[in-house]
Amino acid sequence: MIFFKKKKKKQQETNTDPTKGTLTFPELMKKLRASADFSTVKQSSLSTFYISYYKTLVNPEFVHRDLLPYITDIQLKNLDDIQKHLPLDGMVKTNDVHDIANKVTEGFILIQMNKEDPEGLLVPSLSTENRQISIPETEFSVVGPKEAFVESLDTNLNLIRKRLPIPEFTVKEVRVGKLSKTRVAIIYIDGIADEENVNTAIQRVNDIEYDHIVDSSYINQMISDNENSPFPQLIDTERPDRVASVLSEGKVAIMADGSPHALTGPTTIVEFFSAFEDYFLNWTLASVIRLIRLMGVIFSVLSSPLYVAVLTFHYEMIPENLLATLVASRNDIPFPPILEAIVLELSIELLREAGARLPSKVGQTIGIVGGIVIGTAAVQAGLTSNVLLIIVALAALASFTTPVYQMSNTIRLLRFPFLLFAQFLGVLGVGICFAFIVSHLLKLTSLGRPYIAPLYPLRANDLKDALVRLPFSMQNSRPSLLRPQDKARMNKKRATAKHDIED
Amino acid sequence: MSQISENKQISPYMAFYMVTTMQIGVGILGFERYIAKSAGHDAWISVIIGGLSFNVLIWMIYRILSKENADIIGVHKNLFGRWIGGALSFLLLIYFSSTILTVLRTYIEVIQIWVFPELNTAVIAIILLGLAYSYVIGGIRVVAGLSVLGFFITLPLFLLKYYALKNAHYTNLLPILDHSFSDLMAATKGVTLDYLGFELILLYLPFLKQPEKSQKWAHLGNLFTMFTYLITVFVSFVYFNQEQLQHTIWATLTLWKIVDLPFAQRFEYAGIALWLFVVLPNICIGLWSVSRGIHRLYKIKQKSALRTMLFVIFICCILVVDRQQVDILNTKVSQVGFYILYAYIPFLFVIQLISGKVRKTKNG
Repeated sequence: MIFFKKKKKKQQETNTDPTKGTLTFPELMKKLRASADFSTVKQSSLSTFYISYYKTLVNPEFVHRDLLPYITDIQLKNLDDIQKHLPLDGMVKTNDVHDIANKVTEGFILIQMNKEDPEGLLVPSLSTENRQISIPETEFSVVGPKEAFVESLDTNLNLIRKRLPIPEFTVKEVRVGKLSKTRVAIIYIDGIADEENVNTAIQRVNDIEYDHIVDSSYINQMISDNENSPFPQLIDTERPDRVASVLSEGKVAIMADGSPHALTGPTTIVEFFSAFEDYFLNWTLASVIRLIRLMGVIFSVLSSPLYVAVLTFHYEMIPENLLATLVASRNDIPFPPILEAIVLELSIELLREAGARLPSKVGQTIGIVGGIVIGTAAVQAGLTSNVLLIIVALAALASFTTPVYQMSNTIRLLRFPFLLFAQFLGVLGVGICFAFIVSHLLKLTSLGRPYIAPLYPLRANDLKDALVRLPFSMQNSRPSLLRPQDKARMNKKRATAKHDIED
Repeated sequence: MSQISENKQISPYMAFYMVTTMQIGVGILGFERYIAKSAGHDAWISVIIGGLSFNVLIWMIYRILSKENADIIGVHKNLFGRWIGGALSFLLLIYFSSTILTVLRTYIEVIQIWVFPELNTAVIAIILLGLAYSYVIGGIRVVAGLSVLGFFITLPLFLLKYYALKNAHYTNLLPILDHSFSDLMAATKGVTLDYLGFELILLYLPFLKQPEKSQKWAHLGNLFTMFTYLITVFVSFVYFNQEQLQHTIWATLTLWKIVDLPFAQRFEYAGIALWLFVVLPNICIGLWSVSRGIHRLYKIKQKSALRTMLFVIFICCILVVDRQQVDILNTKVSQVGFYILYAYIPFLFVIQLISGKVRKTKNG
C-alpha cells in the first residue's frame, strides 16, 4: 500500500509541474519546438553554434545588434569563448535541463555548440513590453506626486527605491504559482520593520498553493488572516509614494509582477479611511476632512436602515415638524419602507455596477440618465418617497468618499444586513447588527496584528494618526502596533524646540 | 495554578473597563426609586458610602488572590481542600450564572416594556445569547475589547442629562442630611446591589498582566462607577420630586423621553438599543468567567462548558415569564450577592489570614 501511495504521489507531481521530475534534454527541446514561436538558428561563419529562443519573448533586434556581431567573426572553440566575448552580464552556463527550461521560457537565449549537446549558455535578454507610468486613477489626489504603479515589478521597485535610497531597503523575491511562476517581492526596511511581521509575510506568500497568480489581489485573498471576512485585511494601493511612506513606518509591502498594485500590512481599519492626500494638506484641514469622511461612512451604512427602523416601528421618534414632511412624502407609497429601501438600494447598486462595467464615456451617461430619469420617474409614479431617494443617494455618495476601493465595496455590502435587522427589530436590530460586526472586527487580525487597533487594544500614542491627523511635529514615533525595531521617527527635542521672540 | 501564556493575557489597565462595565448594568436605568425609598433626597450620600465600601472589598479580593497567586477556585482548593472547596466554587459559579441570567432577563424585560411589548422572550434571548457566544468564543481579549468599546460607545449618553438639567429644581436636594443614619444605611444596602458585578475579577484576575498593577485600575473603575451613579442620582433627584420618583420605575429611561433633538425625540428607543453595549459586556464577561471556572473545576473543555451554560440560561430565561418574576429574580440574586460580598469575602479574608499564620508556625 505504502509503495503504491508513493508512486502515485510522484506521478501527480510530474503531471502538474512540468519542471519537476525527470526530463531529458531532447525531450525538452521537442516540447519547446512544438510551439510555433520557438526558433533555433544555426550560425556557421567561422565556427558553428546554435541559437534558440522564443521569438515572442526576445526582441530580434537585440539578437542581431547586441549578440551576433560580437561572436560571428571569431574563432570559437567552446561556450566559455562565447561568454568571454559577449559584453553582457547575467549569463549562465549550465547543463541542468530544468534550469534551461525555466530560463528559456522566461526570455533567455540559449546558445549551444552542438544541437544535441545538453550544455548551453543562457543569455538574458528580457524584453518586456511596459505600459508608460501614468497618473493614479483609483487613488487620485489633487496635490502630490502623480505616479502610479505599472504592470512590471522592476519598474515598480524602481519607483519605490528612488524614494528610499538607503541600503536597508530590502527586497525578498519568491516565485509563486505552479504555472505562472509569478515573481512576488516582499519589501521592507531592515532595522525598522519588525522581523516577525516580515517573516509572517514571507511565510504566508511561500505557503501559497495555486496554479497561477495573475494579480496581487489573488495574493491579498490568499494570505489574509480570515479569508471569509468581507473586510480587506491588507491595503491595496497603486501609489508608490504611499508605499514608501508606510514602509518607513515599519510596514511590509508585497508586490507581484504583472500587477499595478502593492499590498501593505499589517494594517488597521482606520487606515482604510485615511487618504494619502491627508498628508499633503495642513493637519487641521486633513483632520476635519478625515472626520467628515468617517461620518460619511457611518451615514452611508446606517441612514437607510434607520429610516426603515423608524418608519416601521418608532414613528414616535420623529419630531412633529418633521413628521408632516415625511408623511407627505410617503402618502401615496404602496410599499412598506423595507421594500422601498431595498428596491432603491438595489437600483443604486445596479447603476454603480453598470457604470463600472461600461467604458468610461458611456458609463457617465448611464449614471446621469439612470440617476435623474429613473429617480424622478420613480418618485412621480409614487413608487418611492422623495426623502428616501435623497437618503439613498446621499448614502451612495458618502460611500464613495472611502479612499480605498476594497473598503468602499465592503461598505456597500454592509448596509444590507443592517436593513434586514432593522426590519426585524427596529432600532434595537440596528444595534444588534452593529454588535455582530464589532464582534467580527474584534476577532480580525492583519498579518497577526489586531485589526481595530489603536481603538482596541487602546494605544493612545497611535491615535495621533488615526481618526485625526496631528501635525508632523507630533508624529515623532512610529505606530507601536507594528512593533518597529526603531521607534523614533525623528529627534523630538529638535522638532518641538521653542524659539524666543527674536531667535 | 498553571501559568497563562502572555499572548492570552490583557493589559492591567483593562481592569478599569472590565470593573465599571460589569458594575453598570440594567440597574442604573431605574435604581433611583429603590434608594430614595429609605433615604429620600439624601440617598446620594449612600451612593458615596456604598462606593467607598466597595473599594475596601476590592482591596480584600486582591489580597486574597495575590496571596495564593490564583483565581478563587485555586484559593478555595488551597484553603478548604478539594471537596469542600470544590463545592464552594460550584455555589459561587451558580451565583455568577444567575447574575448573568438576571441581567439578560431584565434587559429583555426593558425591551418588552418600552419598545416591543409583543416581542417573544425566546426569540430575543436566542439572538442576544448568540451574540454573546460570538464574543466569548474569541477569548478574553475579545471580551475585554467589547467592554472597552462598549464603554466609549455609551459614554456620550451622559450628554443627555443636559435636557433634564434644563428643567432642574436644585432645591430638591435641600436640606442636606435630613435623614437618620439608619435610613442612610438602609439606602446603602440598596445601592450596593448596583455595585455588584466586579466580583467576577475573582475569576479573571490571572488573565491580567501584572495583577498587582491592575489593582489601582480596579479601584479607579469602581470610583468611575460611583461617579456615574452619583451623576445619575443627582440628575434624577433635581428633576423629579420625591413623590413623583416613588412612582417612576425606570427613572433614567423616563429622563431620556424628554430629549428633544431637531431630528429625533423619544430618545429612549435609541438609548435602549445603545444600552445593548452596556448589557453585552456584562453577559460576555460573565459567560467567559463562569465557563472558565467550570473548565478549571471539572476539566471540561471551556467551549462545551460555554455551550451548556448558554442552553441552561436560555431555558431559565424563558421560564421567567412576567414582571413580578423578574422582580423576584432581581431581589433574590442581589440579596445573595450582598451576603457574598459583605459576609463571605471578609470571612474568606480572615480565614486566609488565620491559615497563613497557622502554616507559618507549622513551618517555623
